[in-house]
Amino acid sequence: MNRPHDDELHALVDGRVDAARAAELEAWLQAHPEQAARVTGWKHDAEALRAAWAGIEAVPPDVAALQRARHRLGRRRRARLGMAAACVLALGLGGTLGWQLREVQLVHERPPMADAVAAYRLFAADAAPLEFDGGGRAALQGWLRTHFGAAGEVPDLRSQGFDLRGGRLLSTPEGAAAMLVYQDAGGARIGLYLRPRNARIGQGERRDGRLLAQYWSEGTASFALVGPATQANMRRLAPLLRGAG
Amino acid sequence: MDACDEERLTELLPRLRRFARSLAGDAAGADDLVQATLERALRHWRSRRADDALQPWLFAILYRQFVDDSRRAARWQRVLALFAPQQEAQAPSAERVHDGRAQLAAFARLPAEQRALLLLVAVEGFSYREAADTLGLPLGTVMSRLSRARDRLRALGEGQGGATPALRILK
Repeated sequence: MNRPHDDELHALVDGRVDAARAAELEAWLQAHPEQAARVTGWKHDAEALRAAWAGIEAVPPDVAALQRARHRLGRRRRARLGMAAACVLALGLGGTLGWQLREVQLVHERPPMADAVAAYRLFAADAAPLEFDGGGRAALQGWLRTHFGAAGEVPDLRSQGFDLRGGRLLSTPEGAAAMLVYQDAGGARIGLYLRPRNARIGQGERRDGRLLAQYWSEGTASFALVGPATQANMRRLAPLLRGAG
Repeated sequence: MDACDEERLTELLPRLRRFARSLAGDAAGADDLVQATLERALRHWRSRRADDALQPWLFAILYRQFVDDSRRAARWQRVLALFAPQQEAQAPSAERVHDGRAQLAAFARLPAEQRALLLLVAVEGFSYREAADTLGLPLGTVMSRLSRARDRLRALGEGQGGATPALRILK
């Protein structure tokens, strides 16, 4: 056997050669005491290093370090938010750029229409009992009008294949809200969510897990159409509703 | 980041700290290094590819942080030297040895990049590939550096005389 490369001798020390090759290398080393002494020295040093550093592992994990890191990160993020707010002021009230920045920051804080998605999960995703069933349409309509005025129309989506299953009244910090639940022939449920308008809700859509929320505002109300993102016809519905609302 | 990630991260903290101790000269420096690493890790948590092993990823962040810090410190030293030319460059912080153990003393006298590699390979049990990725080196460089590091450590250990008590008895 030729003299093995040093790389292989290191691999032997680190246990990175297979057993058969290790045996060959050991045999070669027996015949070459000078090289054997080098390898033994490396092994000795590696073991000594492991022993010397083993004690340090016994130090209990510094969980506080993790909390500190998180805390500082949060503080820096808040500082950035504060800076963004200062930018908004500096840009002046008319600055659309500043306004958009603020909106982006706020949206970052809490996704738009999170309440709509939550309401869908609660009442539409699984067949939770609804306060108004399909037959109580008139009562539901009356209640919505009281709270949302002209915007409080219960849309008829039968032409799109969705029947009204019922509705549920909810509340938000800004006032009353409602979730109307529709279902198509295949059993897929979508929810139309109405709530008092909120400055941060423009028009748009976002994915939340498997759900898609399309949202817009009209007059004093904000709307969100929430349903499984796989419901392709939902994208057709939202523009229709926007036009009608 | 979920509870499971958090648990794995917490588990790795002692090792992360050990790696930091092997690089930084003193405990305070090591703690700062771990702190900076955790902040960077949390900031980039989402950009981490899920199938990447957590330990090499964290160690790579820590090593980059250490290298960055060292460069900054070196620049600062040069700036200081402009104003106070008579001031000697500070002795490498590693000379402030971790503790009395001879092995650690010899280890501390190795250059930082050799210390990092030896710790990963010999103590943490990283494969050569993992060590190469963590330190941002080609595999060939890892092997030649490992060879130099071991020869150097050997020479330092023997120079101190205390490393092999068995020989002393024979003398």
